[in-house]
Amino acid sequence: MIFAESSTIIHLQGVTKEYPPDNIVFSNIDLEIEKGEFIFLTGPSGIGKTTLLRLLFCAEQPTSGEIWVDGVALSSLSNSQIPYLRRKIGVIFQDFKLLSDHTVFDNVALSLEVIGLNRRQSRKRVMQVLEGVGLAGKWSNYPLQLSGGEQQRVAIARAVVNRPAIVLADEPTGNLDQERTNEVMMLMEELNARGATVVFATHDDRLYENTHRRVVKLPEGKFEIS
Amino acid sequence: MSLASLCHRVLSDLRQHLYTQIITTVVVSLSIVIFAFFTLIYFNLHQFVERFGTELGLVVFLTNDIPQGKIPGLYQKLTELPGVEKVTYISSKKAFKRLENYLKGEKGVLEGIDPKFLPPSFEVRVNRAVFHLKRIRQLAEEIGNWPEVSKVQFGQEWIDRLESFLRLFRILVAVSGLLLLFTAGFVVANTIKLTVYARQEELKIMRLVGATNTFIQGPFLAEAFMQGLLGSSLAIGAIFVCYRFLQGLAASSELLRGVNIYFLPWPYTLAIITSSILFCVLGTAIAMWRFLRL
Repeated sequence: MIFAESSTIIHLQGVTKEYPPDNIVFSNIDLEIEKGEFIFLTGPSGIGKTTLLRLLFCAEQPTSGEIWVDGVALSSLSNSQIPYLRRKIGVIFQDFKLLSDHTVFDNVALSLEVIGLNRRQSRKRVMQVLEGVGLAGKWSNYPLQLSGGEQQRVAIARAVVNRPAIVLADEPTGNLDQERTNEVMMLMEELNARGATVVFATHDDRLYENTHRRVVKLPEGKFEIS
Repeated sequence: MSLASLCHRVLSDLRQHLYTQIITTVVVSLSIVIFAFFTLIYFNLHQFVERFGTELGLVVFLTNDIPQGKIPGLYQKLTELPGVEKVTYISSKKAFKRLENYLKGEKGVLEGIDPKFLPPSFEVRVNRAVFHLKRIRQLAEEIGNWPEVSKVQFGQEWIDRLESFLRLFRILVAVSGLLLLFTAGFVVANTIKLTVYARQEELKIMRLVGATNTFIQGPFLAEAFMQGLLGSSLAIGAIFVCYRFLQGLAASSELLRGVNIYFLPWPYTLAIITSSILFCVLGTAIAMWRFLRL
């Protein structure tokens, strides 16, 4: 099923995820996310926020139900098609997932390398993005030479350098202090303002308590949309 | 992925994982040295038996009652056989004289014996380049069927002994070769697997940003190709040094003087290098496939 000309970019229909024998993470979830929307996916730790995000970038498959991303039913994708879907999605993790033996530049350029850009072609864009996250001066540093906040900004730069339509952020501020958290939030807002759809998973209610953004709460077993 | 991008990634990987790359190459190299050394020994023994058999030549014994007039015809027939280099006629008298010379001080044993009791014969020397042991045997059988010929000898007993030794050695080489190959394969495959596992975080991140399996595998397979090529070339180089050393040893030794030692022929060398490359590339592909299908 393809949503032609639809404004929905992510659509979940009756999605259930179970880990046998008896761990039901969530069941029968329906959710629609519009293009350009910024939503908070919330709920206590261990409720399934990460699992839901992993379903969206095909790191896992739902036990039942269907997920459409940018009009494509994920169940219809073969293994060889999954990388092409992932190029439309930028993923940010709480633990950054940076290559410690690669420089900041190389970590960010990796997203462009996989789509076939060579170093010369990607240099300008990588430097622009690093400029955007305030790390242009640290392009030759290694991740372990950076602070936690800086590492997270590198991860954000890597996620957005190939201008994905969707950004999935999995507790990106979980390891950061308030000041770094605010910086990350500002970057996410900026990305959204440029047109990216942002799904921001967090258990920290301070991040969304005064927001006009849609908040999707994941209580045990069923969805609650505010 | 362009060639330039592949080269850049391979070089960058080599820089970052130099130690692991060296260890894998050394493991490949050592495994091949052991295997190639066995092959070298086997090959030289095989060559020795071949050469020894042909150097013996053939002795064609004629019937005692053969008319003298038939000898030139037979001589002609033998010289016309393809691959025959030289034919020498040994009359009964000449054979008797040789026996006398051989017995020297024991000449008395031959007193009263008719000098014609030994049959006349032809000594046939064959061209080594044309004749292999199998062909000599065929030739002996062919000549043996001529009515004027009573027996053909070509050191059959010696050759049979050597051949049965060689058969045993061949089994020994095959079994040890297989065991070595299995051990080497196991060590190399596990070294490769460990290399891939050590970098699985990197592979996960690449998959996360949308890298295809081909993109991820490319540099790993290129590195495996280089490990196979370099490892086997180093091994062949080491075997060559060893061969030169043995050659020097043979030249300076009284016992081994005249024994030719041969290096592995190029098809063997090529086969070893190709198999080594294939093994490394396939080992890496399998180790990665296990990871990439997850």
